[in-house]
Amino acid sequence: MTSLRQFVLLLFVAFFVPWLFLIVIPHAKLRAVEPVMLDPEDPSLGTYPAERSNIYKDGELVFAGQGCANCHTQVIRPTYLGNDSFKRGWGRDGENLTHTRETRPEDYIGDRYAFLGIQRNGPDLANLGHRISDRVWLHTHLYNPRQHNDWSSMPSYRHLYSIRKVQGERSSDALDLTGDMAPPAGFEVVPGDDARALVDYLLTLKRDSEVPSAGDGAEAPAADPAAN
Amino acid sequence: MASDTDTSSSQTKASEEGAKLRAAIDRSARLPVLFFFTSAALWLVVASVLGFLAAMKLHWPGFLDYDWLFFLNYGMVKPAFTAAFVYGWAFQAGLGVAIWLTARLCRAEIRNPLTLIVAGHFWNIGVVLGILCIFLGEATGMEWMQFPPFVWPVLFLAYSLVSVWIVLMFQTRRPGKVYISQWYILAACFWFPWVYLTANVFIHVLPGAAVMSAAINAWYINNVIFMVLTPIGLASAYYFIPKILGRPVHSYQLSIVGFWGLAVLTGWSGMQKFLGGPLPTWMPAIGGAATILMLVPVVTVAINHHLTTRGNHGLVKYSPTMLFTVFGAIAYTVTTGVAALFCFLPVARITQFTHASYGFQLLAVYAFFSMSMFGAIYFIVPRLVGGEWRSAKMIRLHFWFSTYGVASLVVLLFIAGLVQAVGINHSWDEGFFYGVSLSRGLIAGSAVGWVFIFGANLVFLLHLSLMVCRRGLQGTGPTYLEEPHHASPVASTDGDVSVIPGSAKA
Repeated sequence: MTSLRQFVLLLFVAFFVPWLFLIVIPHAKLRAVEPVMLDPEDPSLGTYPAERSNIYKDGELVFAGQGCANCHTQVIRPTYLGNDSFKRGWGRDGENLTHTRETRPEDYIGDRYAFLGIQRNGPDLANLGHRISDRVWLHTHLYNPRQHNDWSSMPSYRHLYSIRKVQGERSSDALDLTGDMAPPAGFEVVPGDDARALVDYLLTLKRDSEVPSAGDGAEAPAADPAAN
Repeated sequence: MASDTDTSSSQTKASEEGAKLRAAIDRSARLPVLFFFTSAALWLVVASVLGFLAAMKLHWPGFLDYDWLFFLNYGMVKPAFTAAFVYGWAFQAGLGVAIWLTARLCRAEIRNPLTLIVAGHFWNIGVVLGILCIFLGEATGMEWMQFPPFVWPVLFLAYSLVSVWIVLMFQTRRPGKVYISQWYILAACFWFPWVYLTANVFIHVLPGAAVMSAAINAWYINNVIFMVLTPIGLASAYYFIPKILGRPVHSYQLSIVGFWGLAVLTGWSGMQKFLGGPLPTWMPAIGGAATILMLVPVVTVAINHHLTTRGNHGLVKYSPTMLFTVFGAIAYTVTTGVAALFCFLPVARITQFTHASYGFQLLAVYAFFSMSMFGAIYFIVPRLVGGEWRSAKMIRLHFWFSTYGVASLVVLLFIAGLVQAVGINHSWDEGFFYGVSLSRGLIAGSAVGWVFIFGANLVFLLHLSLMVCRRGLQGTGPTYLEEPHHASPVASTDGDVSVIPGSAKA
């Protein structure tokens, strides 16, 4: 501890090393990761990760701003950390899959930020798009979470919706509300722009698209038949 | 401090000059330090209310559930709580303590204290705007970085300005040995702007891969705890424990190990939050390894404090500063022990993404850091306002309510995390239901913990306001927690300005 300059230099070096190797270099490297063709010879198979429409970007902001990430994770962990892979409904059910694959860095390409998780007070949403396809159901759940699960501790997002008088026919996206929170007769509850964007975003959450078989490995047997 | 060797046995003239100098330093520090302390204490009361609301909303979403109160939804009140707690309270209390400690240890008056007050105002404006934006649905969804991107440059500049002032004070210091606390404060001044700039630039300005942003966010949270709050908390412990005991720190060598261990290891840690997540595996792994290795410097700090205090632990009965500081020092050891434990896979299964991770943050920021800051504030404020704390009862209340509150919060949240993890890791959907409903009672209990913390900090704010408004006691000795049985129970009491300072062993 001789001089200020020497001290600051030591402090600088002590922090510069992890800063460079843990933050700067991985940041630059991961930034360069792009979607890859599943099969370079057959573009019709698409890319990994599968392309998602841009409509969800607005919804991603609503997801962040409403604080959804405080309770909902978007990550399927490997089995040594949890049973995420074997939870019913946390992946692609009913397609003869034994389990959901764990999430990989590429699954988040195109996202503004990966909402991996703060807490898991509600179910994981990494593959929500597989387990829910019904917009009205999801809107109803956001408006009155306890209509479907009376034990749910999710807050109501009814400030993203509006109640209006039914004009002629009931709108197709009006919510199916029952019980206390149902609108009075002659009225209907319809989603606002934010609610629509949020649901659009949630329905695109499918972070388990097919992973390309490792390029080198696939060709190896053909190149060297003796290996079989 | 080391140069401050004018012991009571030596010439009285020197000690009189020392007292004059200290009085001049305190005069120059009065406005900025009191500004940071009072606004911090106010934020802490706000944070206690928000923390209570978050705990209520989490187990009972129907609580205060009105259309126009949508901003009290858990998803908004929790980030608002964290912002008020960390940026409103913790940072400002830490900056106040850092400014005062630097001025005293450098034996330098603060030049242009107005600049510090301006920086403090900007900091507060940034936090207020940020929290309003969170309530308006503009949060970023990133833990501890929820403010919309326009806020970070304000906070960055405000903090950097204070840092520059501290470094300037250091450069104009009077000759003498540089004390351990000064290393820690300089390090905190240097590290936070770097960490904050890195995190915000790589997430908001030059965004990279989405998962990398999440990893940087985890690294940032860890670094705020261990590279900003920890150094200031330790600087305070290294100053006040020897100061009140009137004896030097036990070992200079041990404190070097403690300091450089922290400096070298902390930058690597943090990403273990996403153990098993979609990141290159080595990143969380190295974070876990560094956090476990951190136990070495932490144990050296703990041993050092213990050996310094040996034989005089009884002082916590009298001195408020000693009581809070010793509590904080013990909680620091527990915090890093828990952090290391969280890096083991069987434990991470329970703690990752559960209430236990929140419990850990409260352990670090309240039980360790906040309690250390309370100790420092109880020492500093009487010197700045020229009066003694009005009521030992209020200090005792503050301590015990804080202790009950934070202990029940941490224990309940850890148990709730265990219950929640059993639910999450159960194979079927019913498991999730049990996890939610069984932890509900525990979260309700944690709301009671918040009531205690709110009560404690309301008393603290009131007491502090009375002091700032010059309602401190005049002409009495320092306020002890208990009336001493004999004239001078404390070798060198914390109430007198001209106490014998502990100097680092040469």
